Amino acid sequence: MKRFLVLILLTMIVVYAISVETIKIGFFAPLTGFAAADGTSALHGAQLAIKLINSKGGVNGKELELVYYDDALKADQAVSIAYKLVQKDKVIVAISGSYSGTTRAAAGIFQQLKVPMISAYAVHPQITATGDYIFRVGTLATVQGRAGAHLAVEKIGAKKIAVLVIDNDFGVSLAKAFVEEAKKLGAEIVYEEKYPLGEKDFRALLLAIKKLDPDAIYATAYYSEAAHIVSQAKELGIYVPIIGQEGYDSPKFIELAKNHAANGTVITTDLDRDSEDETVQWFIKTYKKTYGIDADMVAASAFDAVVIAAKAIEIGGETPEGVKKGLSMIKEIKGTVTGFKGFTEKREAMREITCQVVIGNRFHYFWKITNPEITTP
Amino acid sequence: MFLQNLVNSLVLGSIYVLIAVGLTLVYGILRILHIAHAGIYAFGALMGLTLYKLTGNILVSMIFSAVLSGFLGILVYRYFYRKVLSESRIVPLVISIGLFVAMQDLYRLIWGPYKEAFSANFNIPDIVTENLIITGDQIFIVLVTVISLVALYFIMNKTRWGKALKACADDLQMTGALGINIERTVMLGFFIGSFLAGLAGVLVGIYDNSVYPTMGEVPSYKAFVVVVLGGFGSLKGAVVAGFILAGAETFLVAWKGFLLPRDAIAFIAMILLLMFKPSGIFGRETG
Repeated sequence: MKRFLVLILLTMIVVYAISVETIKIGFFAPLTGFAAADGTSALHGAQLAIKLINSKGGVNGKELELVYYDDALKADQAVSIAYKLVQKDKVIVAISGSYSGTTRAAAGIFQQLKVPMISAYAVHPQITATGDYIFRVGTLATVQGRAGAHLAVEKIGAKKIAVLVIDNDFGVSLAKAFVEEAKKLGAEIVYEEKYPLGEKDFRALLLAIKKLDPDAIYATAYYSEAAHIVSQAKELGIYVPIIGQEGYDSPKFIELAKNHAANGTVITTDLDRDSEDETVQWFIKTYKKTYGIDADMVAASAFDAVVIAAKAIEIGGETPEGVKKGLSMIKEIKGTVTGFKGFTEKREAMREITCQVVIGNRFHYFWKITNPEITTP
Repeated sequence: MFLQNLVNSLVLGSIYVLIAVGLTLVYGILRILHIAHAGIYAFGALMGLTLYKLTGNILVSMIFSAVLSGFLGILVYRYFYRKVLSESRIVPLVISIGLFVAMQDLYRLIWGPYKEAFSANFNIPDIVTENLIITGDQIFIVLVTVISLVALYFIMNKTRWGKALKACADDLQMTGALGINIERTVMLGFFIGSFLAGLAGVLVGIYDNSVYPTMGEVPSYKAFVVVVLGGFGSLKGAVVAGFILAGAETFLVAWKGFLLPRDAIAFIAMILLLMFKPSGIFGRETG
């Protein structure tokens, strides 16, 4: 009798599973270890997009399902996740909510197995160069560096600029693009110095900068380092504008800066908090309500990656080949939060660069860079 | 600029010293490389912030959190190290590493993965002159460190407990044979060491305005450099080494920028010392 009941139960489960057919989207991000905060934000952003799309009836009448794994920011783990997503879970498209190292490692596998992958916010140029199945939603570092130079020289009017560079792919490629463009625009770089990831004490460097009396400081950083830089600059009596990029784009930057030191910082990023776009406002409000923390650039990029993947499935069909075709055909679509305007031939995202300023401990609209000569990757 | 860098090194050194002194105590008595010490440091910071949110009083939260850290240290000794003291020294080391990793993930489950701000005010005014800026936080950190070190000196040299601790560090078995309660003395050592680690956690949390589960990662290996430089197990050595290391790092960065990451500078200093004076700055020649 017992066995019979179990059998009935199993049959019911199987029947149910077949009747509710879902479209599977793969996802990986660091959910443990020191990058767990960004990984969690990315996952939350992606899950919110899935929820929104499913509440509107899904794609082609089917619900989307996010299959996600923790890569712990380890390249070998990302590789086995890539295999697992494709071979066991049979996803038709995958999204990386991880950093450059892991994303690059996984990209090779997805390319080999011919399943499209979208990098949400990893910035390394080599990721999309892996092959024609790899796309990027985030803004390439060279574009942001260039945009930062126009912001510093044209909008803020800086003639003498000091540059602080975080010593990794992200920081170095940003700074290189910034310095080249700033010099072209006629500014002088009076100071340029690298610092290691995770550094907490910038006082010695800032003292050297203070002596040179620049008009602005361009500092490539993630939000933790950025919070230390602005706090310690204020502490040492440096009051020139500090210009940052999407790495600063987190409510945690403002929170971790001491004595409201984040105010006045200007950054180039993707997410315009003051946008009147319906989706952006819904996203900012719902994210805060659901997860109890303000949305950041990472969450916004992961959200968009899912929205774009869903659109590509709708256009190209429910196969990896179809999604790839769909991705390359997408132009401007409604329902993204980072102003995505389609992919270039090299599978890089096109968008206008928004500049945000911190006022009253919140990000607000400051300037927008629309010139395609600057914003095209 | 020289003065400013000197002040900054003093503050950085204070933090190194507070963490390393606790580690030195444990190493001195049991010869255990206590990696999980950094886990206790992170616990102190996280607990300090939780208590501060509850009470709103920074002094009470700091001391209470340090006391809880002290008890956590005793627990770590009683339930993880005590059973394996007679084994090869690699055994407690492996246990310690595993424990440290587990602690970090436990903290993440309890407190979440995000960095939390710890903005507490000590009501100490900043000192601002034309060439020198010393913030209230910095004054407070140095003050707490000085008080802790003086108290530690007093305990170690003027009380029976301290003398028992020193005796245990010299020869554990002999001390036991002379009728001193070794068990209680070792627990005291763990309590004092972990108390200081918890204190350091709270101070760093406030100084950096951020507290998070993995904040012990760098101290977990950095503190060892200080212990080694000071001469394994020498308290005086750890104090001197902590300040020298902080000064060397700060002035090298001020002079040449980050040619090498801070931690690399520390490790190079350690390797050089091990090559030329393996017993450390204040080490006893017999290990």
